[in-house]
Amino acid sequence: MVFVQLRQFSNSSIAAGRPGYSLVKPVHHRVRIRKQLLSPRFPELKLPPTDVRSPKYRPFLVRQDRVKEHYHNTLKSDLLLINYQHDQKDVEGPKRRKWDMSSPYHINRPLQKPKGQIVPSPTIRARTWKNVPFFEGVSINCFVEEAKANPAAAIAAQLQIQQITNSKVYPIYAKTNVPTWKLRPGMLMGARTRLTGAPAHQFLSTLTELVLPRARDFRGIRNSAGDQYGNIAFGLSAETVRLFPEIEHNQDSWPNTYGFWLTLHTSAQLDYEARTLLSGLGLPFYGNEKVPLLLRQAQGL
Amino acid sequence: MFGAARTVQKSGANLQFVRTKRIRAGLDPVAQRVVTQLSVISANRKMPKMLKLSKEDFVKHVTVMRAWGVVRKEKKQAEEAQLKQQYESIKEANEDLKHVSQKLFEAANKLEIGKRFPLELRVPTEYPSRSGWFYDYTPRKL
Repeated sequence: MVFVQLRQFSNSSIAAGRPGYSLVKPVHHRVRIRKQLLSPRFPELKLPPTDVRSPKYRPFLVRQDRVKEHYHNTLKSDLLLINYQHDQKDVEGPKRRKWDMSSPYHINRPLQKPKGQIVPSPTIRARTWKNVPFFEGVSINCFVEEAKANPAAAIAAQLQIQQITNSKVYPIYAKTNVPTWKLRPGMLMGARTRLTGAPAHQFLSTLTELVLPRARDFRGIRNSAGDQYGNIAFGLSAETVRLFPEIEHNQDSWPNTYGFWLTLHTSAQLDYEARTLLSGLGLPFYGNEKVPLLLRQAQGL
Repeated sequence: MFGAARTVQKSGANLQFVRTKRIRAGLDPVAQRVVTQLSVISANRKMPKMLKLSKEDFVKHVTVMRAWGVVRKEKKQAEEAQLKQQYESIKEANEDLKHVSQKLFEAANKLEIGKRFPLELRVPTEYPSRSGWFYDYTPRKL
């Protein structure tokens, strides 16, 4: 006969009619213990990355940043004035809505979609001296079509992006299955990277001073480009990419170049603010510009 | 990609793998090119040498960085204070304008969609060119 003894944590609480275990959440094992800090070995690995003695230390602000200085000396105060609206109030973007609880099935149901859209929009905050829009960075996305047949093309594209931006590149893999294009998920298709801070400024000044003024097929960025929330994207053709100095001065090594998409990220809340900012950084725009939908809704136009 | 599997054709279309001697000459030039490209992308063996600072050097470094941090902080605070001052005076001026002339107030507060900095605006350089200024310049109509 097997005797199974039930473990009981508290006899008195059972007697009192309560469950026999604690309902209080445990406090043990909630704090992650980093054992390397306890061990006396490898003292240099315990230093924070901001310490020069740490192997992770990277020197920062090692040279002048022209774009940053230009922004702070010239653009920032102008942008404050341009974007100023008297008695401005926050414009609430459409958010997810609560159910009216007319049905018992509404309990615990995920919130309803925002009216007229699928994803909620952020609230547009009133402009003050604290939130003047600034340039955050660039992300580069290079999808190479010929990499379907020749995966080496994707590697060459990765190298090209790395040479142009001087930053770590990450591979792009196909996500979808499109049999007519012979595209299958998991195929190596190109390269991507994201630049912020000084490298982004360096890239932007190369682009606006050396590349775009000489590009034949570049008229400017379309005024209709943008994701509504202050990020503006445009493309560079394979021919234009040849004008980057890293490639131009080493033509023999680059039999093929690959065009790519650039997204300029700004902290602007709406696209027209981002365009004003980017025009100050030397990027031309063309085409008709519309009043953004969020503002039209807010003003009841 | 890196080396074609050597196969020997026997009796019609049947392909059979055959164990042979290793080719010493290396990869074919196309594959070699890809390998070189990959080695350029890879971060392998590209770790910069770590600085070895003496105690005195370390103290110097920390002191200089702290002092520099203070300078940067002061500069930032001064800039923010100036922006705040600008904002306050814009606000004050608008408040006045509202009572003086409604028409002018509306004109001053029009939403500036399509506002652009002039295309001739340049990010300043430390050493601008000697002949970089065209005195009889007139902007082109786009």
